[in-house]
Amino acid sequence: MSYLHTSCAFIILCAIAAGMIRILQGPTAADRMMAAQLFGTCGVAILLLLAKGLDTIVLLDIAMVFALFAALASITFVRRAWHEQTGASR
Amino acid sequence: MMTLLDNVGMLCIFMGLPFFLTGTVGLLRFPDIYTRLHALTKADNVGLGLITLGLSLQADNLFIVAKLILIWILVLIASSASCHLVARSAIQKNIHPWVK
Amino acid sequence: MMPYSILTAFDIVLISTLLWLAWKMLRSEDLFKAVVLFISFGLLMALAWVRMRAPDVALAEAAIGAGLTGPLFLSALRRMERLHKDERRVNIDEERKSETIFHTQQKETP
Repeated sequence: MSYLHTSCAFIILCAIAAGMIRILQGPTAADRMMAAQLFGTCGVAILLLLAKGLDTIVLLDIAMVFALFAALASITFVRRAWHEQTGASR
Repeated sequence: MMTLLDNVGMLCIFMGLPFFLTGTVGLLRFPDIYTRLHALTKADNVGLGLITLGLSLQADNLFIVAKLILIWILVLIASSASCHLVARSAIQKNIHPWVK
Repeated sequence: MMPYSILTAFDIVLISTLLWLAWKMLRSEDLFKAVVLFISFGLLMALAWVRMRAPDVALAEAAIGAGLTGPLFLSALRRMERLHKDERRVNIDEERKSETIFHTQQKETP
């Protein structure tokens, strides 16, 4: 069972590594921030799968912290950092 | 009985994986910020819901099930709130949606 | 035997992604892009701490590294750009003052 869970976590990690391209060549600032939010959601999934696969229940708490603070980052981005210079380039 | 629940949970986890891959492909391939938001927030949350369902079918006690469901609800609230904020402020900044 | 092999592949992908992220973060000209890369670097670094069997450090890294420092960097970036705008405006005003003084002196001399 543990082998199946860790291989699912590996596939989602590959999805994260592919999503990094959008951070590097995103045309607007919101695209980069959305890719960071993708990292948050996929990181939660990886942590849940690893908590089952490695038999460490503590990882569920880290997944909860991931879920909370990824939202904090994107809300701060919308409220504070997204203005005309970094934003609407298209 | 236990093995049946484990197998059904594993099937749910395997069903959740293509949603994550689809979300990443949509983030890379879609032409617009709104379509990318759509792919990202919806597909990933469905995938995470299926993985949560599968893991809670395999969980040992009810406390872990409650924690998994709490995590999923938190991710749902967070991603829908940030999706609406980003889309609304993109409309306010006159970024036009992609046509055709 | 099999779990170790898939975990080794997991570690290799994680480490190479971390190194690539860190290199791109150091080399990027755009400060906002560097901040977003820093946030995602913190998230992946928390996963690396999990794999090193240190969940407490992973919790601290996810909360402090990605959660608190990223939004602080974002608001500091906006404040810094505002400061740069003020500096530029002050410089332009000083140039205008010096130009007008120069012109008035030129007008007075003949």
